[in-house]
Amino acid sequence: MNPTQAVAALLRAHPDALFVASLGTATSALRAASDDGPHLYMGGAMGSALAAAVGVAGKRPQRGVVAVLGDGESLMGAGSLWSLAGVRPPNLLAAVLADGHYTITGGQPLGVPGAFAAVARALGLAAEVAGSEAEIERAARALPRPGLLEIRYDERTWPGPSPFVDPPVVRSRFESAASR
Amino acid sequence: MTAQAQSTWQAALARALSGCGVEAAAWVPDKRLAPITAALEADAVGVHTLTREEECFAWAAGFRAAGGLPLVLIQCSGLGNSLNAIGSLVVPYGLGFPALVSMRGALGERNPAQMALGRTTVAMLGLLGIQAFPLRRAADVGMIARGAVDVAEGARELAPIILEPELDLAG
Repeated sequence: MNPTQAVAALLRAHPDALFVASLGTATSALRAASDDGPHLYMGGAMGSALAAAVGVAGKRPQRGVVAVLGDGESLMGAGSLWSLAGVRPPNLLAAVLADGHYTITGGQPLGVPGAFAAVARALGLAAEVAGSEAEIERAARALPRPGLLEIRYDERTWPGPSPFVDPPVVRSRFESAASR
Repeated sequence: MTAQAQSTWQAALARALSGCGVEAAAWVPDKRLAPITAALEADAVGVHTLTREEECFAWAAGFRAAGGLPLVLIQCSGLGNSLNAIGSLVVPYGLGFPALVSMRGALGERNPAQMALGRTTVAMLGLLGIQAFPLRRAADVGMIARGAVDVAEGARELAPIILEPELDLAG
């Protein structure tokens, strides 16, 4: 499984959700898997994507919200796992694309354990680990919210589309999608 | 100045901001901001205590992108923690919202460790292209709150209100 296939499985499970993607593999994979859909792609602010998704979930409690996060990016904002457990948005799923590497900076390995589901469980969040598209689809539907899905994949291929998005265009398209 | 007098400008500021449409807030706790968040909660504005100031700006960026009007409350030393979220998310995406920045390291400060970030707060915002709106007198609370929300909603820019020490030193 590659990251684009993993994100495509999330989209199949939640076709109407609002998606937020962190800069790097997550943004590129979400652009590839959704045919550049009107999602909140981060062009920067590494470590901020989960907190931004908590904000989206707070404003749109009637919508499902999915945060697609890189593993290195999640570590840069690890405190947001605590905030997710504190705020407890009932409509938010955090999906961590865990390949153990900082892909966008050249593939350096993480220097710390990528124990995202275990940490989430310790914080009282519902959490699972998925290693195939079928497992992702099932867990993304079944996990209570707020929940965390640690997605393990081994095909470390760059999805393709540039993660360097045009911010005003992203904002404008997302505002329209969120208000529908 | 008494606690009662302090709570007057703080409660008035909270009322003014909720009256201008602020729907929800995020902060990292601070003594001087605490009466503001208490008054916001009394006005049914939800307040989230997050782990770090950078998170507050990212949370508010998401809330704003989804169509809402959030508020961030930080002590000025927390601005140093927040520059990347402001510079590479809030500013380029045009996500305007009001923020309250409680000053330390300014007039009356006795802690040497606070001085550098107090001295540079407004300059850091300026280098990011952000105008700061100082609030020094309780009588100006309503005007500054309305003006800041106009900048945030209309001009789509981050609108930091600087809570100057004079608010508590005067009188």
